[in-house]
Amino acid sequence: MLKSTVASLKTYPAIPIIVALAVAFSLLSPYFMTGGNFEAMMGANAVVLIAAIGMTFVFLIGGIDLSISTVISASAVISGIVMAQTDSVPLGVLTAIVVGTGFGAVNGLLIGYFKLTPFITTMATQLIARGIAFVLSHGIAVKGTPYWVLDFGFMSWFRIPAVTIVGLVLVGLSVFALSMTTWGRQVMLVGSNPNSARYSGINVPFIEFTVYLVAGVLAGIAGFISIANLGNAIPGVGDTLLLMIIGAVVLGGTAMTGGEGSIERTVLGVMLLAILINGLNLVGIPFYDQLIIQGILIFFGTWLAMKFSGQRSQ
Amino acid sequence: MGETIRNIFARQKWMAIAVATIVLAGLLTAVSPVFLTLSNMQSILVQSSVTAIMAIGMTFIILTAGIDISVGAILFFTSALFAQLMIDTESYLLAFSAAMACATFLGALNGVLVVKFKISPLITTLATYSIYRGAAIHLTGAQNIPVPREMGFLGNGKLAGVPVPIIIMIVIFIIGVYALTRTRFGVYTRAIGNSARSAQESNLPVNRVTIAVYAVSGFVTGIAALILLARVGGLQSGIGIGIEFTVIAAVILGGTKLTGGSGTVTGSVIGAVFLVLIDNGLNLMNASPYIYDIVRGSVLLAAVAVDRISAVRQQKAVEAQRAARIQGAAVAG
Repeated sequence: MLKSTVASLKTYPAIPIIVALAVAFSLLSPYFMTGGNFEAMMGANAVVLIAAIGMTFVFLIGGIDLSISTVISASAVISGIVMAQTDSVPLGVLTAIVVGTGFGAVNGLLIGYFKLTPFITTMATQLIARGIAFVLSHGIAVKGTPYWVLDFGFMSWFRIPAVTIVGLVLVGLSVFALSMTTWGRQVMLVGSNPNSARYSGINVPFIEFTVYLVAGVLAGIAGFISIANLGNAIPGVGDTLLLMIIGAVVLGGTAMTGGEGSIERTVLGVMLLAILINGLNLVGIPFYDQLIIQGILIFFGTWLAMKFSGQRSQ
Repeated sequence: MGETIRNIFARQKWMAIAVATIVLAGLLTAVSPVFLTLSNMQSILVQSSVTAIMAIGMTFIILTAGIDISVGAILFFTSALFAQLMIDTESYLLAFSAAMACATFLGALNGVLVVKFKISPLITTLATYSIYRGAAIHLTGAQNIPVPREMGFLGNGKLAGVPVPIIIMIVIFIIGVYALTRTRFGVYTRAIGNSARSAQESNLPVNRVTIAVYAVSGFVTGIAALILLARVGGLQSGIGIGIEFTVIAAVILGGTKLTGGSGTVTGSVIGAVFLVLIDNGLNLMNASPYIYDIVRGSVLLAAVAVDRISAVRQQKAVEAQRAARIQGAAVAG
């Protein structure tokens, strides 16, 4: 019993913190443990969930993608403009995915095949994506979102918001891709030991390329979901998300150094941050104190995750 | 001849950005008659000063293979503390010393966390970024606070005809170059970046130097904060947002390697000036300010791509030389 508990803590170090936070907040606020609140919480965090899946893949190969946050903005804005012009939702979805794929492909080519440093490359594409989002939108929310998209943002199915269902479907696909396919096994091997991956005949540049590509696609989808959530494509939507996305992945227990982690862990990491922010809002903590608490939690949560899973360093 | 030039470029990493800066300045001179005036030169250097000063500190951090994402938040916190203390106590001495002490402390705290908890500097400083920024807004109650008019001297004043920010930047630049190239601290900083393990094994004070490097960056960020505060005229909620990426971009453009061990303070300062020149050029063309990000990102990509190409070429040349030597030895043997 104890042994299996310890083992599951190693795999899911976020669970004890989630339980502690849930207990604390349900004592502090009667509204916390209600279906309506959970529904709102899930809907509000769908964008972070989808983006964090992409970041998990990138972390698993030992990389980083700083551009995910603003690719969300760029794809939202471009998709928003296309939908405002054509009033076609499918075209909007397609545009968001294409924009995300484009950025992912550029990152993947430069990092995988051209061997540029992931940090600088994605820092540069982060700036470019942000610039594109602001130039095309003139710095303001894009008007003219089709009604269907607005309705979609409010849709729920058995109290699970539609946007969250999209996120969960993507989680399912990603879990499958990572654990059931050759590609997934190669991703894990590239992350844990790039040299032995190379010697065992894995096309490492190709795996790196596909991982950044997937991260881009997911950022594009997250961008579209942000329109449904907020009602408009906002050029600054991604600016503040980087901390949340990276925080969720490391709090879940996926190491930045590669080879250690999973999509399931990231789902828990997203839950953890979602509960934290929701609870702090319910208790009436102002946003700046939330920033302090978030920072402290991300730091010590990462440290705990490292301790539990016996990683040498993040 | 070509060989010698290539050697100079290889040894002096900042030469590339220096040449790029001169070329860009030449282009701007051709486009605009006002560019090559003393007052415009001064204004460009004044505009670069905040980024350049912070980039000098960041160079030391990156040389240890570290990174500090929180410098923008340290900049904001220091500004907030100074402005608040000026309102509360009206004592320059108190506000100034508290702000500088605090900036140094926040930097050092990053260093201590990096060293003690062994979490990557990126995540550590991403967390402290959030903490420092939140703490600063908590301190001021999210208000904009004006600073006394005399403060303007630090931002717009002149000493012997030279703007004060430029003088401060030059002083810090000289100290930075000296510290990096002529002191044990500089040697240790590079050694840690080259290989933390061998630095540890040769009994270098790795932890102390690492903490010191982050503290130094915090200290110069504090100075930058006061200059910025003086130039802007007061605390504004947007101060420091995103500046970490501009500072890192200046360092990278200056030829410092993100992997540590190799880089110069000179390059970082020129990198900061280069970024302002780009802004200046876009401004001359009446471009939308939102385009600046796109251009900066593209320039950064181009710079690392060029760097990568030359590294690959160099490696190939070295390999060819080695192959020739082995062949020669085989023939001789």
